[in-house]
Amino acid sequence: MNKNERKNVLVKSGRVIDPEKGKEFISDIYIKDGILAEMGENIKAKGKELTEIDARGCIVCPGFVDMHVHLRDPGFEDEETIETGTLAAVKGGITTVACMPNTSPPIDSESMVKYILEKSQSTACRVLPVAAMTRGLKGREITDMGLLAEAGAVGFSDDGRCIGDSRLMYEVMRYSTQFGLTLVLHEEDYSISRGGLINEGHYSSMLGLDGISSLSDDVIIARDIILAGRSRAKIHITHVSTRGGVEMIKKAREGGLDITCDVTPHHLFFNDSYLVSFNTNLKVKPPIRSEEDRLALIEGIKGGVIDAIASDHAPHLDTEKNTTFRLAGFGTIGLETLFAAAFSKLCGEEKMSLPGFISLITTSPAKILGIDAGKIEVGKTANIAVIDTEAEEEIKREGFISKSKNSAFIGQKLMGKIVCTISKGKLVYRSERH
Amino acid sequence: MLSKKSILDADSLSLEDIKLILSNADSFLEISRRDVKKVPTLRGKTVINMFFEPSTRTRTSFEIAAKRLSADIINFSPLTSSLKKGESIIDTLKTILSMKVDLIVIRHSDSGTVKMVDRFVDIPVINAGDGKYQHPTQALLDLYTIKKRFGKFEGLKVDIVGDFLDSRVARSDMNLFEKMGMDVTIVSPTMFLPEDFSGMKVKHCIDDVIEDADIVYMLRMQFERQDRKFYPSVMEYNRFLTMNMDRLGKMKPGSIVMHPGPVNRGIEITDEVMDTSGELAEKIVIEEQVTFGVAVRMAILYLILG
Repeated sequence: MNKNERKNVLVKSGRVIDPEKGKEFISDIYIKDGILAEMGENIKAKGKELTEIDARGCIVCPGFVDMHVHLRDPGFEDEETIETGTLAAVKGGITTVACMPNTSPPIDSESMVKYILEKSQSTACRVLPVAAMTRGLKGREITDMGLLAEAGAVGFSDDGRCIGDSRLMYEVMRYSTQFGLTLVLHEEDYSISRGGLINEGHYSSMLGLDGISSLSDDVIIARDIILAGRSRAKIHITHVSTRGGVEMIKKAREGGLDITCDVTPHHLFFNDSYLVSFNTNLKVKPPIRSEEDRLALIEGIKGGVIDAIASDHAPHLDTEKNTTFRLAGFGTIGLETLFAAAFSKLCGEEKMSLPGFISLITTSPAKILGIDAGKIEVGKTANIAVIDTEAEEEIKREGFISKSKNSAFIGQKLMGKIVCTISKGKLVYRSERH
Repeated sequence: MLSKKSILDADSLSLEDIKLILSNADSFLEISRRDVKKVPTLRGKTVINMFFEPSTRTRTSFEIAAKRLSADIINFSPLTSSLKKGESIIDTLKTILSMKVDLIVIRHSDSGTVKMVDRFVDIPVINAGDGKYQHPTQALLDLYTIKKRFGKFEGLKVDIVGDFLDSRVARSDMNLFEKMGMDVTIVSPTMFLPEDFSGMKVKHCIDDVIEDADIVYMLRMQFERQDRKFYPSVMEYNRFLTMNMDRLGKMKPGSIVMHPGPVNRGIEITDEVMDTSGELAEKIVIEEQVTFGVAVRMAILYLILG
């Protein structure tokens, strides 16, 4: 963090997007002592301790909420830490991240929840721990969900793993209703996905890579919709990747189920034809699917079936990615490209409205997790992202500040550059050109 | 006389049966307090205790009850019986019946076994606990304990805390408590409740009921009767369900804590509560339940065989 952090900030003449009210308007924003003190035209503020940001031609929106992030801390600090991960987040305009529990040890105890919360006191952005549904993420015993909720867990997930035992999943769902927290579900049927590397289809057979059929997601999504229907649990399907998944979630919601879902920018951006490069940064789970699936995801967003966009930021060391496609680890980093990748597709190509798009990375994920975030409110601690939506940039490996560099977007030209980020009331990121 | 020859479950006990048993228990309680604790009432009658599942207090309680009434009581132990040699339960019963016994007290680990036995034999049968199904004499002694403390049942608020689903005690208690006009709430996490508990009064945390309760009935954690363990941990149990000193202190004057025994110390009830000797100690009526158990079982044996 730089010395700007203590200063008051005046963001001049930006186009403010209020995703909550669905409005946009030109306004100044004045942040005094960390609080969003004033919003309006021609705000006069003076003093040595003032930083002015010229936001003409830029949009000014609430800091983003990324509800699916792997910070790798503790246990895999060579890949990412809470500190480096949150610095990467604010570079991407993100001011709240929900971190997944597959650390070592996993976030399956009160003390681990407290560790994350304490360690994130001084970080660039807010970090909210998602706790494990089962002890050790082993899919056998339910965690102390009540104690974890009281310690400050924002939701429950075994992300990266899927509970195969349907009865256990059902009991987890039932028990979660006692505490009112959302279950964030990674849907994968291992009997189908086992050994698979990329989407099963034309490209997997052409490239000689073992496939992961979309049935792997769909079978478990179907199961969990049935279980949630009976248990009345609040479930959230994360990184939905298939047409079948989107269709089932749509139907379930029409039937009155409390179900939500998110999609990653990489599933919106790529289809499996990109895999002809054998680029291991495109090896992710669930796999990059077919064009038909990708279009279904875009339709899902436009039709309001998909509620949120989340990065599934998954740092991996070079040694895990600079290897054969079969041996490479699954995952791509995504915090720093969350906005640009999704914006390029949805607003650039698909002409989606800005407030509608911004809500997918602000108010909507905040609502799913039941947290107070993703809003622009006078009188509250300022969490704001300023973005130049006209700027186009080629993504380069050197540009990443995340500790790991395994981005699927390296080499892609993306629209939209984060100009600055104000998080926890402080100016924590400012791009070089501003 | 009771309305039926056997006591198989709580449901088939009529209000009159219950009142009769409870009022008779008073005089049998008096016998237990004498120096010579024996009356000749059931002299010449033979009772057999058939316990197919381990038990200390219930088996001993029936044995003492029968002996104080001068009945002959035989303890049948499946571990040393022909069941070990492969004899079926029905054949074992036939053998026992051939010896002309007058009453069978039976406990078994499988729900419904006692009803099966009752269909098969002509003599009276008393259910001393079968599987997760029923334990009617426990419920009767619980009622008697409540009667001695409160002198009434109508309107008392009772909270049954813990593993409801796996508990035969809870099933019998709930039936009798409601029959007597008590206001029953089940305090239990989802995995210890039926799938659909919408028809029941349910809370998930003991703190939600502790201040208003007249009776807090702690159920035994039935680790031995859960084929699959879904409850997370003792720590989680302690936070939401355990009777500790803090909670005991929040209970209103005159209220009591019950437990069918044996207590898992540190799970249902903390050591501090179990061993407390202060004025809060009189809230813990677990030993009274055992004492009254003998009197209630004497009343039952008398009313069936006398």
